[in-house]
Amino acid sequence: MTKRSFLVALALAIGFAVVGFESGRFWAYLVYSVAIASIGALSLNILIGYCGQITFAQGALIGVGAYGAGIAGNAGWGAASLLVGAVCSALVSLLIGLPALRLRGLYFAISTLAAQFILNYLFKILQPLTNGVSGLVVKPLMLFGRPANDEQYAVICVGLLFLSWLVLTRIIQTNVGRAFLVVRESELVARGMGVDVARAKIQAFLLSGFFAGLCGGLIAFTSRLANPEAFEIGLSVDQTAMIIVGGLGSLGGSIIGAGFVTLLPEAIERLGELLPSADLISAFREMAFGILIILFLLLEPRGIVALARRIFARRGAAARTNLPDRASYGSGAISAQNGRKA
Amino acid sequence: MTLEVRDLSIRFGGVAAVTNMSLDVNAREIVGLIGPNGAGKTTFINCIAGVAQPDTGAASWNGRAILGLSPADLLRLGVARTFQSVVSLHDLTVLDLVKLGAAAHARRGRGFLSQFFGSDKAVDEEICESLLAPLNLVDVANSPIQTLSYGQRKSVDLARALACEPQLLYLDEPVAGLTFQEGLNMGAVIRSVRDRFGCSVVMVEHKMDVVMSTCDRIVVMAHGARIFEGTPAETQKDAEVRRVYLGDA
Repeated sequence: MTKRSFLVALALAIGFAVVGFESGRFWAYLVYSVAIASIGALSLNILIGYCGQITFAQGALIGVGAYGAGIAGNAGWGAASLLVGAVCSALVSLLIGLPALRLRGLYFAISTLAAQFILNYLFKILQPLTNGVSGLVVKPLMLFGRPANDEQYAVICVGLLFLSWLVLTRIIQTNVGRAFLVVRESELVARGMGVDVARAKIQAFLLSGFFAGLCGGLIAFTSRLANPEAFEIGLSVDQTAMIIVGGLGSLGGSIIGAGFVTLLPEAIERLGELLPSADLISAFREMAFGILIILFLLLEPRGIVALARRIFARRGAAARTNLPDRASYGSGAISAQNGRKA
Repeated sequence: MTLEVRDLSIRFGGVAAVTNMSLDVNAREIVGLIGPNGAGKTTFINCIAGVAQPDTGAASWNGRAILGLSPADLLRLGVARTFQSVVSLHDLTVLDLVKLGAAAHARRGRGFLSQFFGSDKAVDEEICESLLAPLNLVDVANSPIQTLSYGQRKSVDLARALACEPQLLYLDEPVAGLTFQEGLNMGAVIRSVRDRFGCSVVMVEHKMDVVMSTCDRIVVMAHGARIFEGTPAETQKDAEVRRVYLGDA
């Protein structure tokens, strides 16, 4: 990470924290929603975008963090319950990831799909822990002796997002992160280079699970509820949309994608209020994600980040572009997944 | 500091890829392994590089048995390899890949915390000076690997293998796919690597001009077995080699 990207990120974080704190409850809500979704997207991008392990269990994993943090919070653990949720998710993520040591690509992805449904089922039936389908009511986080309000949550979430980004950016720039990238491209080459593929995968699952759990804990506290419906496959799809739209294998892209996917429904709703045909617009809202994901996969699999880089590259030293075109840059994370690519 | 391979055989179903192949490599020696397509050269390298498990035979490096060891184990013993086809590693820069290669070496690898909190600047400079400069890669040190030419990627792969300070280096077609001039340069680089690091080299290669000018000794394989061994000059003169290799009657 360069000093410049650190300062830009810090300035953005402070800017959004101020907006969240000073502009009323609605803006605070938007800011913390995006920040929380971003932490989840960062976590998912580590696993899919960097390490190449496609998972559909992200929604349930976030749920594990939410329940873990919620239960710990209700037991009076305070802010430490966020850590409890994160650790719970990291451990469950490790379990979900174990088949990845044997299975590859789509076969593994299907096993995570099973994990998603099993976990969601557990949320419903483990009545004593999770309070079943009606959901677990979570006591608010206490701040200065009073329940935290939305504005304070906005600041907390932006702060934690900044920290998460910082930690993950640093890890990506160590040999741990480099090993993820090599494993994504070719396990065979990784092994030949002396990379411990199994260890790299385990590390990716633990790391990704930890931040998914942090995301879940924040959802539990801000919404004051952890219920099974919130952590269904739809959340996994939303999270996947975020990293595809934002950019696979780009931490900054995860945050941009999270903002895009979180704010798009709000924007469409506002549009619907202005226009007479509200029904039509709300139907479009359902379709928008699907269309968006398909468009990005077709036109720019590396997301908004790659799009922006291309535009800048064209505008800048157009003659000697340092960036490869889409054909060669393309669907690295996805295509490397067919498992047969040696 | 010698590699000894004895009677190594491996079959894939009905195909005997390598049959009773033996090979000795002395300290600081560059041995060229040549032969027509399908002769079993790469399979042989894979067997002694921990990628494939031979059916029979023995191999030792400095007296230690090496068959059955993983590539990571071999790297710790000072045995490194390069790859025939260079995978385009998206997003990784030249320095990234070389640092990852260095991690396989106990002394050069840095602890996670020092990487996490520390700056890579000193390490980067050292790598540029000692590894990238001789391979003409300093200018592209921070470029993603997929932006490099094929020849440069081959050099990067070599730098990555050299980063763990190997004492025995397997090069699988280091010149294939390079232009004539790049090929000659690579041959010179391989000799200078040997001189600087004092390592032994086994190189599989097709380009005869490079093999002749680079190797100290040449082993010719055909149909999975050794058919000739000698100096470059002797190899060029041998009738059997000419028949197998050049296909004249």
